[in-house]
Order: sequence, then structure tokens, then C-alpha cells
Amino acid sequence: MDFDFNDDQAQLRDAVRKWVSKDFDFERRRGIVKAGGQQGGYSKEVWQSLADLGLLGLAAPGDHGGMDMGPVEAMVVMEELGRGLVLAPYAAVALMGVAVLRDHVPAAVQAQWLPRIAEGRARLALAYQERKARYRLDHVTTTAQAQGETWVLNGSKSLVPVGDLDDGVAEAYIVSARVTGAVDDHAGIGLFLVERGAPGVRVQPHPTQDGSRAAEVTLTEAASTLLVPALSQGAHPLGGHAVLEHATDIGLAALCAEAVGAMEQLLAITVDYLNTRKQFGVVIGSFQALRHRVADMKMQLELARSMSYYATLKLTAPVTERRRALSQAKVQLGQSMRFVGQQAIQLHGGIGVTDEYSAGHYVKRLTTIELTLGDTLHHLGEVAARMEDTAGVFA
Amino acid sequence: MDLNFTPEEQAFRDEVRAWVRANLPAHISHKVHNALRLEKADQQGWARILGAKGWHGWAWPKEFGGPGWNAVQRHIFEEECALAGAPRVVPFGPVMVAPVIMAFGTPEQHQRFLPGIMSGDVWWSQGYSEPGSGSDLASVKTRAERQGDRYIVNGQKTWTTLGQHGDWIFCLVRTNFEGKPQAGISFLLIDMTSPGVTVRPIITIDGEHEVNEVFFDNVEVPVENLVGQENQGWTYAKYLLAHERTNIADVNRAKRELERLKRIAVLEGVYDDARFRDQIALLEVDIVALEMMVLRVLSAEKGGKSALEVAGLLKIRGSEIQQRYTELMMLAAGPYAVPFLFEAMEAGWQGDQYFAGGFPGGALHAAPLAANYFNNRKTTIYGGSNEVQRNIVAQTLLG
Repeated sequence: MDFDFNDDQAQLRDAVRKWVSKDFDFERRRGIVKAGGQQGGYSKEVWQSLADLGLLGLAAPGDHGGMDMGPVEAMVVMEELGRGLVLAPYAAVALMGVAVLRDHVPAAVQAQWLPRIAEGRARLALAYQERKARYRLDHVTTTAQAQGETWVLNGSKSLVPVGDLDDGVAEAYIVSARVTGAVDDHAGIGLFLVERGAPGVRVQPHPTQDGSRAAEVTLTEAASTLLVPALSQGAHPLGGHAVLEHATDIGLAALCAEAVGAMEQLLAITVDYLNTRKQFGVVIGSFQALRHRVADMKMQLELARSMSYYATLKLTAPVTERRRALSQAKVQLGQSMRFVGQQAIQLHGGIGVTDEYSAGHYVKRLTTIELTLGDTLHHLGEVAARMEDTAGVFA
Repeated sequence: MDLNFTPEEQAFRDEVRAWVRANLPAHISHKVHNALRLEKADQQGWARILGAKGWHGWAWPKEFGGPGWNAVQRHIFEEECALAGAPRVVPFGPVMVAPVIMAFGTPEQHQRFLPGIMSGDVWWSQGYSEPGSGSDLASVKTRAERQGDRYIVNGQKTWTTLGQHGDWIFCLVRTNFEGKPQAGISFLLIDMTSPGVTVRPIITIDGEHEVNEVFFDNVEVPVENLVGQENQGWTYAKYLLAHERTNIADVNRAKRELERLKRIAVLEGVYDDARFRDQIALLEVDIVALEMMVLRVLSAEKGGKSALEVAGLLKIRGSEIQQRYTELMMLAAGPYAVPFLFEAMEAGWQGDQYFAGGFPGGALHAAPLAANYFNNRKTTIYGGSNEVQRNIVAQTLLG
């Protein structure tokens, strides 16, 4: 049992932090959000910087141009991107998308996409969100029908992370679609590769609450190729739903780590403010009511950090254990993010709700994270449903 | 980073588990698993069993007769004891006063006091709190006046846990009334059989006699019972409190009690009630998070690094969790937590002559639940109230 980072991990953290402090300050972020306008904030220069740093290939195998790094390295990177409030669909593409390619698709598809993703010449993200699904991955109404070698998809997906539509980067989506079964069945869901420019694919970008960009993707007789079949078979031991769960858990661990970085920075900003701002002739950080709130924020941060470690270190555990751990982590993170965010604004007073100050933007990102890949109540339900699994473990 | 225990640590766990299962008397673990009243014979009996193995001072270094375990091994030992249903070791001797005697006492004091602590034969009490002192420990008023080769002690201590069993008591006493309050305090070891020592019970709201007042009326204490230097006691007291805070989180007991909560919830038919079950699930998350925080501190300690920043949070969170599980157990029993049958919390209670199943509704498992809930209100108050702990955490962040 060991919670130390090794030298390589420490160097990786330094490199990311250095880039953030040099190239991604709050003013640059504001500029990107503003330039994004009605499409939402995205910067191809930032994306290229992430590629140049090697981060887009972090989780990709070495023989596909990647760095072949594991969950702890991903956590380190996410903490630093969170600390800097970096605006880019990094986890969606470089961790979740790459994980599906790396672990669950044929070698030819890997060779086609992974090197280009690592270089920043291609983006690949999961498209799973459907109306009325809330946070269930098995609520899939999008349909897939085989037509010879290809598959035709019909349906609509929300909140798909996208980049620039005209920056020359190849973009594709890993779409969950139903091959057989009823709407809420675990079985019968396949994963399909849909290229942005394919016929029948409509991509409508929009801003998100955290200043980022996402798109509504509508598929009308859209051409696609099968990545993961609906049912487990020979070369594919997992069906589409299980692969989706795996990618989701990787995304959850990444979001937990990002939130830890963001909360740590937000607490630091708040502490600075309390030691600067004066009321009634003294700094407001001298008031016990506020000091105790800071102590409680620190508590929530450290509980969150503890569960972020837990989430990351459980990613390689057997599936039942992994799923329970990730849900437990998101329950803690959800509570921590809301508490730290709300208190940060309250302790700042009016300045905390102004657009020109950074604190409110951290809170918006933390709130968006809570609403992504399952909120606190959703994951509390998952933990409660899995409690039998722990009965007797400690006895 | 690695969440798994090493093969060596796992082998160590197996060894400890086998020994605890073989040596923990069933009548004692039965009481612990069912929150029945523990007697002095149970607590001291287990202490002596540990002592014979050399494990009552399980955190002691080898040079003082301890096993010399590292932080992770100590944690594994505590976890195995807790999960097996061992009583919590009464900390005042082996966990609290012993490290102070080791660090600041003379070789003569080591030889005189440490063997009796390790063996479990000598029961120690803590003489810190005084009437009116609360969490302001430096406000000590009990006086020790030097007269030749002895001190004459006058004053009063309070909240002395299990002091009714105490053979010895370690006290903070005032030896100097000038300067800052912290500057005039000394650390004195007092034989509780000395003339002038009187112990009076304080009955708490659960009806139990757990804490006491201890009065000192011209008690003569030989000067060789002073630990370290006169007027340096505050330094030693802080050293001791640092030991108390990690011990106080008690995540291992929380893990055991979570399972008891689930058993009670099943018995009471609320385990499948979504509203109640969600509360158990939340507590489960809280306990996993606390455990991870404890493991982070242990990992840092094992590597020789300070984790004080996080260690300060452990007391706050651990005590809140202890309150929460006793609260949920009481809520699970609902109306059957209301009957107050003091004797039904004894092992071997023959209640069938009064009620079928020995308790109203036959719900004998519910007998201790409300009492435990009331008793555990103490956890956020003792050991430096959680409000004082928050002051300390805030101080490290805000200055």
C-alpha cells in the first residue's frame, strides 16, 4: 500500500502545470469562450499544445504513437488540467475514446485512429446521451441495422464533445445503438463508428454551462462501421454495454481527478481572498464563522482527493468491484464539489458571482462535472443497489 | 501508487488474524458484536491476553518491549482486532502515557512503569480536563507545590473515563502561576491509592457510569513521579494529543459497525426501504472515504513523511461517523429503541420472565441502540471539540 507518486509521475505533473501556468491563464480561457460564441469554447491551438506535450497519446499503446501510460498518470494530468480550468475535451477523447480503441476494437481500427489521435489529427469521442436516459447507459433508442458490410443508424445523441467543424481534424463518434432488444435492455447494444462528414450525420454545436462546446448529433440513415458487437462473441468478449461501462468508469475517474485539481485551486483562491478582503476594519479571514467554513471546505477536498485516488486505483479491479468503487467515488465527489463550490461563492460575496472573476467559473465547471456521467443521486442508487456485495466482507 | 497491501503485509495480516481468532474469548467478542455492556474483567482480560503476547503496546518500538511495527502493520493489527470483535484497547496506558514516558521519562521511569502498562496489569487514567476547562486545556488549575522531595497536589479533574478502575493517573498540574498559562504546567504520575484521592462517578444520559470526577486533597506525590522537566508539561501534553487524534478516528470499528447496522436494518425490515437504504449507502461511502484518508496518513508515516495536514481532519470525520452509525441503528429500530431496560444490555440477561424474547416486541437487539446513540454524543466533544479542531485546520490554511 503506497500513495506516493513516482519520479516520472511527478515530472509529468510538473510539465502539465508548467504549460498551464505559461500558456493557459484565465484571460486566455475567457478569450476562447468569447471566440466560441454560439458554438461554445474550443481552441485548436490548445488541442495542438496537448498533442505536442504528448498528452493526447498518454493512454495509447507505444506502437500506435502513444505513451502507454496508466490510470495514475491520467489522474495526474486531469488534476492539473482541473487546477488550470483547461477548456478541452481531453478526457472524452484521450482517455475514454482511446480506451475503447485500445481495449475493445480490432487492430486495423486501432492502427487507423490511434496514431492520428495522438498527433492531434483526429478526435474520437463517445456519443451515448439520449433524452430520458438520464444517466442510464442501457436506455438506447438509437437503432442500428446491418446493410451488407456497413450499418445504418437512426437516432439522436446529446452532449457529444466536439471540436472545430472546419479545422481539418478528422472527427468521429463512437455511438451506442440498439441492434436488438427493448429500450432498457443491457443486451443488444452495439458500438458504432460514425464519421462526422458521413451522409446522414448532422452535428449542431452549442455552448455548455462551463464555457465548453458540445453538440447534438442527429443520425438519419447514417452510415457507420461496427466497432463492438451487441453481444459478446469470439474476438469481442464484452458486448457494447459492458464496453460503454468500462469507458464510463475511466471517464468518471478522470472527472474525479479534474474536480480535485479544480477544488484545490478554488480553495486557494478563496483563502487568498479571505486574507485580503477587509470588512469592519479587519480581514474577513479572521472571522470564526468563515474560518470554520474554510476548514469544512478543506475536509471536503481531502475526502474527495481520497476517493479520487480510490477511483483511479480501482479501475483495474474486477468489474463488480470497479463499478461499485467508481460510484462510491462519484457520490463523494458530487457532495464535495457542490459544497466547495457553493461555499467558495458565499465566502467571496458579490464578486463570486461576477463573470470577470475566476471563482464562479470554477463553480460552473464543478457543477457541470456533477451532471456528467451520473450525479450524486444516480450513483448513490448504484451504491445502494450493490450493498449486498459488501455484506459479510468485513465480518 | 498502489492500493493493495504487499504480500508481506498480507502475510502479516494472516498471522494477526489467526492469533486474534484463536485468543479472543468468545464471551467478550459476543458482547462487542452486540454492543452489550463490557465489564472491567472483559477489558482488562483482553488487555492481559494482548500483554502476554507483547501486543498490548502494539505501537511501541522494540527497545521498550514492543513489536516495532510500522504504521501500516499497526493499522492491520487494529483492523483485525476490531473486525474480530475485540474491545477497543483502553488507550490511556499503552497509547497515551507510555509514549510520553518513553520520550521524556528517565530510564528508572521506563523500568518502573512500562512493564505494567504492557502486561495490562496496571490500569491508567487520564487527568487532563478540569471543571470549566473544556477544550481550553491550558487553563489547568490543579496545583502541585514542591515541598522537599515531594509535591502536594490539590484540585480536581473531571471527565475521567473509567477512572473508577484506575490504579494510576497521569495529570497536568500547575507548578507555576506566572507568565503564559502554557508555561507553568507539569506532567505528573499519581498513584490513585494515595491518601487524599477521591473518585466520584458522573452518570451520563445513557444511565452509564463511564466518567468520573477525581479530587486531590493534599495528595503527596514523590518528585520522581514528575515526567521530564518541571513547567514543560504542555509540550508533553501536545505530544500526547497528536497520538490521540490518529487513534480517535477509529475507522476499523466503523467498518464493523456498518455491518452491524446492516444486520439491524434487515431485522427491522428497513434494509429494502429505499429511503433508509440510501442513508446506509451514504454512510458506506463516508466510511470508505475515511478509510482512504487514514491509509493516506499511514502511507505517509511509513515513508517517514508528515501527513499532519490530513491527520487533523481525521478526528472530525471519524467522530461524526461514529455518531452517524449509532444514530442510524437507533432509527432502524424506531419505536423499539424507546424501551429503556438497563439490565437488557447485560450479556446473559434473563428477560424472558418479563417479556417474550426478553424485550418488548421481542426486539432484544434494540436494547442498547438508543443508549449508544446518547453515549456517542460525546465523540464530537472530547479530545478537543470538533469546533476547536476546525480552528486548528483553519489556522494551517489561513494563518
